[in-house]
Amino acid sequence: MSRFMLARAVLAILIASVPLSDALAHCFVGARFFPATLTVDDPCVADELSLPTVSAFKNSNLPTSDFPSAREIDVSGEFSKRITDALGVSVASTWTHLRLPGGPNASGFQNLETTLKYQFVTNAAQELVLSAALSVEWGNTGAQQVGAESFSTITPTFFIGKGLGDLPDTVRWARPFALTGQIGYAIPSSSSKLIPGEIDPDTGEQTFDIERRAKFLVYGGSVQYSMPYLKANVVDLGLPDFINRLIPIVEAQFQTPVGNTFDPGLGTTGTVNPGVLWAGQYFQLGVEAIIPINRASGSGVGVIGQLHFYLDDIFPTSIGRPIFASNTGRPMFGN
Amino acid sequence: MRNSASLAVLLWLGLGTTGAYAHASLDRADPRVGSTVASAPRAVSLWFTEKLEPAFSTIEVRNAAGVRVDQGRARVDSTNRNLLQIGLKPLPPGTYRVRWRVLSVDTHTTEGSFSFQVGQ
Repeated sequence: MSRFMLARAVLAILIASVPLSDALAHCFVGARFFPATLTVDDPCVADELSLPTVSAFKNSNLPTSDFPSAREIDVSGEFSKRITDALGVSVASTWTHLRLPGGPNASGFQNLETTLKYQFVTNAAQELVLSAALSVEWGNTGAQQVGAESFSTITPTFFIGKGLGDLPDTVRWARPFALTGQIGYAIPSSSSKLIPGEIDPDTGEQTFDIERRAKFLVYGGSVQYSMPYLKANVVDLGLPDFINRLIPIVEAQFQTPVGNTFDPGLGTTGTVNPGVLWAGQYFQLGVEAIIPINRASGSGVGVIGQLHFYLDDIFPTSIGRPIFASNTGRPMFGN
Repeated sequence: MRNSASLAVLLWLGLGTTGAYAHASLDRADPRVGSTVASAPRAVSLWFTEKLEPAFSTIEVRNAAGVRVDQGRARVDSTNRNLLQIGLKPLPPGTYRVRWRVLSVDTHTTEGSFSFQVGQ
């Protein structure tokens, strides 16, 4: 083989390896764009960065909680990376500041969280996406003074996203609606822990308390109305561009103890978060109220805001691409 | 000063006036999305937020019976690569559905559809 032919062969391999896929990247499913949500996770894998997500609220004020009612500020970041078009990982970390009533303040990081997610259904015509994930909160990686647990928690989770773009013409005003949902089962790495207590005065033996670690059903979802979808797929009302990029949304997230529960005060907790997202070309902004569903979930109304970057659009040829991108084109209109 | 610089970067990214490329979203259409036009248009024109790859960008227009009424080949305007057009056959009054699928120059695919009415 001549040097010229070798060079051509190398060039051909290089050209073949340049990603030519019709990458969908951040959560596009057909005509539907599912934005990154603030409280629950969106149903897709993506190359994205949420930094920062800032929330301020007053946490649980039940006497059975680990901490007295405290004002809490969380600042978190999450980096998500696609390994293939359908498989992705993410790493998240949260810094917490607690202002305890009448007591000292406490600050520190929560446990590190990692997630492996697989998007196994992407149906463009039905605007349907399904995915499954395995999240791990790694015990002992955070500060116990802000509530980081000493044990790990593994949470297999199922996600669904469905746009209503296939509704009939008679209700076409409802086509911009979309629903997302998730349900997971949080399993602690150990079910209980023996805590040394006092010495029994009668027997002189050491007593122990048993700290039981409950398993939780973790679930939630969102209802969203996409102004970008309305403008591009239903009716262009000639509204200002700022309005056409808004996505009013209500998110909700709950957790219910379902196993290894011996604490009668342990019940369902959660919040309902109404707010609005603004989706730009390269990033989105979001702000929501945090409304606790009961006293065990907090008191008063908090707030959460997020700045979220679409790395696939900002860096389309480098870190915004899957590590192993497919090179197969997708047929036009499914033909 | 640092905050001002950060804000400038965010605006630069968010408004899309950069050298980078993003998903091509439909910016506007003629006939307008969801509109009713008095006389039959001779073409459908779609303006996108990003430049398009001509070989992988297409439009279909069908009538209420599902029959194609376009002239078969969409083309990206040579002087404005954000503009995709397709010619139409003479359209009688009725409802028509436009389906588009485009590949922006950074290889992101987007798609969508909308209806317009003629003379009703």
